[in-house]
Amino acid sequence: MGGLNTTLLIGIQALEASQGAINATSNNIANANTPGYTREVPQFTETPLNQVNDQLLGGGVSLNGLQSVRDELLNLQIQQQTSSQSSVDTQSTSLQQVQTYFTSTGGDIASALSSFSSSLAELSANSSDAAVQQTVLSSGQNLANAFNSTANGLTSVQSAANTQVTQTIAQINTLTNQIAQLNGQLWQLQASGQDGGTVQDQRDQAVLQLSQLTNIAVTQSSDGETITTGNGSPLVMGSQSFSLQTATGSNGMQQVLDSSGNNITASIQGGQLGGAIQIRDQVIPGYLNQLNTLATQFGASFNAAQAQGFDSNGNKGQNFFTVPSVNAAAGFSVAITNPALIAVSSDGSSGSNGNVANLSATLTSKLPSGQTPAQAYASLVYQVGNATSTATSQSSAIGQNLLQLTNQQSSISGVNIDEETTNLIKYQQAYEAAARIVSTIQALGTVTLDMGSSQSY
Amino acid sequence: MRVNPNLVPDILAGLQQSQTTLNQALEQISTGKSVNAPSDNPAAASEMVQNTIETANVDQYTQNVTAVLSKVQASDSALSSVVSSLTQAISLGTEGANSTNSAANQQAIASQVQGILSSVVSLANTSYQGAYLFGGTANSQPPYTADSSSPTGYTYNGNSDQNSVAIGDSTNVQVNLPGSQIFSNSTTNVLGSLSALVTALQSGNSSAISTATTGVTTALNYVGQQRVFYANAESQLNSQETYLQQETVNLSSQQTSLIGVDMAQAATTLSQAETDNSAALAAAAKVLPTTLLNYLATPS
Repeated sequence: MGGLNTTLLIGIQALEASQGAINATSNNIANANTPGYTREVPQFTETPLNQVNDQLLGGGVSLNGLQSVRDELLNLQIQQQTSSQSSVDTQSTSLQQVQTYFTSTGGDIASALSSFSSSLAELSANSSDAAVQQTVLSSGQNLANAFNSTANGLTSVQSAANTQVTQTIAQINTLTNQIAQLNGQLWQLQASGQDGGTVQDQRDQAVLQLSQLTNIAVTQSSDGETITTGNGSPLVMGSQSFSLQTATGSNGMQQVLDSSGNNITASIQGGQLGGAIQIRDQVIPGYLNQLNTLATQFGASFNAAQAQGFDSNGNKGQNFFTVPSVNAAAGFSVAITNPALIAVSSDGSSGSNGNVANLSATLTSKLPSGQTPAQAYASLVYQVGNATSTATSQSSAIGQNLLQLTNQQSSISGVNIDEETTNLIKYQQAYEAAARIVSTIQALGTVTLDMGSSQSY
Repeated sequence: MRVNPNLVPDILAGLQQSQTTLNQALEQISTGKSVNAPSDNPAAASEMVQNTIETANVDQYTQNVTAVLSKVQASDSALSSVVSSLTQAISLGTEGANSTNSAANQQAIASQVQGILSSVVSLANTSYQGAYLFGGTANSQPPYTADSSSPTGYTYNGNSDQNSVAIGDSTNVQVNLPGSQIFSNSTTNVLGSLSALVTALQSGNSSAISTATTGVTTALNYVGQQRVFYANAESQLNSQETYLQQETVNLSSQQTSLIGVDMAQAATTLSQAETDNSAALAAAAKVLPTTLLNYLATPS
C-alpha cells in the first residue's frame, strides 16, 4: 500500500524538483549578461501513477533536466549578417584612413597642384626673377612630396591590411580548433541524452566569432557541425579542424591557402579577412594605379613642355620631374636643383617667357587619360569619398538589421529578470509547500506512532 | 510573443546615433564646413579640387594684372616723354631753319637737339625692375648703344620677340613691343631722324634742316601710333581686373555652396541633436534600473 511513505516521497521529489528549478533560475539570473548565454527552462514531468488498491494516485513530479531555448535559423542569419558587417567595418576603417590622404589639408595633391599652378602663373609675369623661379621649383618639390606621401599612405594602409590577413588567419585557426573540441564534447553529451546547453552556447559563441572573421557556411551532420569557408574549403568537420595557412605571394602579399594547400585568397569574402583582402588586393591597388597613371602622364607632359623651351642659360630645357616607370607616384621627384634650369624662354633669350605658357598649359590640358591633372585627381577624391561613405552607410544599415535579429534572438533566448524573479517566487512557494508536505507527513507519522499509547492530550 | 528582455543594445544604438549626429553638428559648427572629409560629400569634395586650383590661380592672375599694369604704364610714360622730346626737337628744328639765326645760335640749337637725342636714347633704354622695356625679350642689356659705323649712329641690341603674361586660364596679354618696332620701320627711324637733325643744324643748311625736321615729324607720328599698343594693353588689363574680381566672388560663393555651413541650420541641428541625446539618456536612465525587484518587499 501507498501510505504515508509514498506521500513523503512525493514531498521529497517536489523539494528536489523545486530546488533544481530554483537552481536553473539562479543560473539564468547569474548569466543574464553573459554574451551568447541561452536561458534554460526546467523540464518538469509527472512521475507515473501509483495504483493503490483500486485507486490511481499521482506519483509526484520529477525534474527531467533543463532545456535551453534557442532558434538555430536565427543564429544562422546572425552569423551571416555579422560576417557582412565585419567585412564592411574593416573596409570602412581602412577607407577612413585612406581618405585622410585625400582631404584638403595643405599637404594633399590638390593643394600642391594649386600652388604649382599659381607659381607658374606668377612665373609668367616674372619669368627672369630668380626668386619666382625658386618658388616654381619649391612648388614642384611640394607636388612631388604630395604624390609621394599619398602613395606611401595608400601603401601603408595596404600593408596594415596585409598584416591583418595574417593575424586573422591565426585567430581563425584558434577558433576552428576550439569549435572542433566543443563539437566533440557536445556530441558525447547528446549521445548520453543530455541537453549540453552550456557547451552549445560556447560553441555558438565561437562560431559567431568565426563568422566575424570570415564568411562561413554551417551545416549540421550526424557527427556534429560542419563549417566551411564561403567557397567550400573545410574548416571544421565534427570534432576535426582544418587549419588555413599563409604563404607570401608573387606580389609580396600574404596568400591564404586551405588545408590542402590550394590558394583560396581570391574567393574569400566577408568578415574581417574578406574585408582586409578586398582593401589590400582590389581597392588600394585601384587607387594606386590611377595615382601612378596621373603621376606618369603629368610628369611626361611637363617634361615635354620643358623640352619645347630654353632655360635661363639659353640651353634646351631638360626634364623637370623624374618619373620612375614602376610606382611612379611613390618615386615621383624633381629632377633639377637649379631654378635657372626651368625652361621659361621660347627663343633662347633670358628675357623671354614664351615657354611659361606651355608649362602652365600642362595643368589645363588633357592628359592621355582624357582628363586634366585636376580632373583626374578630383575623380580619385570622388571615388575615395564615395567608397568611404558607402561603406559607412552599409555598415549602419547592416548594423540596424543585425540589431533587429539580435533583438529577436534575445526575445527568444535572453534572460528576462522579471520573468526569472517571478519564477523564483513561484519555485520558492512550491519549495515551501513541499517542505510543508514533509513536515505534515512527519507530524502525521508521530500521530500514527502515538496511536497505541494511552496518553491523552 | 515573448518580449526582448535585453534593452541594452537598442539603447546603446540609440545613444550612439544621437551622439554621432551631435558630433557631426559640433564639427560642422566648429570648422565652419559641412564637408570635412571626402566621405561627407564626395561630389562636393571632388569639385573643390578644381575650385582650390582656380582660386589660387585667380589670385595670381590678379597679382599679374597689377604687376603687368605698372610695367605697361612705365613703358607708356617713357614713350610719352619720347613724344614730348620729339615735339621739342621739331620746334627747335623749325627755329633752326630760320635763316636769320647766327651760326653760333645754330650751334647752340644743334647741341640742344643733341641733348634731346641723348635723352631719347636713355628713354629707349628705360629699364623697369632690372629689365629693359624696349629690347624685345633680350632685356638684360641696354637695347640701344652708340655705334659710329651705323647710319643712325646707334645699334639695336634687342630682338623682335614679344612676351605675353597669363592673366586668365586662356587669356594672355602682350606686355611689350620691341624697340625695333616702336622706334623705327622701313621708312622712319626716331634716333636716325634726330641724328640727321643734329647734323643738319651743325651744317647750318636751312633746307637740310627743314628736311630733317620733317623727318622728325614723321618719326613723331610713327611713335604716336605705336603708343596705341600700350593704351590697348592698359584697357585690356583693366577690364580683366574687373573680370577677375567677379571670378573671385564666384569661386568663393561656389566654395560656400559646396562645403560651407548654413550656421542657422547647423545651430538648429545642434540643439535638436542635444535634445535627442538628452532624451535618449533620460529614457535609458529611467528604463534600465527598473525590474520587478524594485516592487517586491525586501525579505525581512
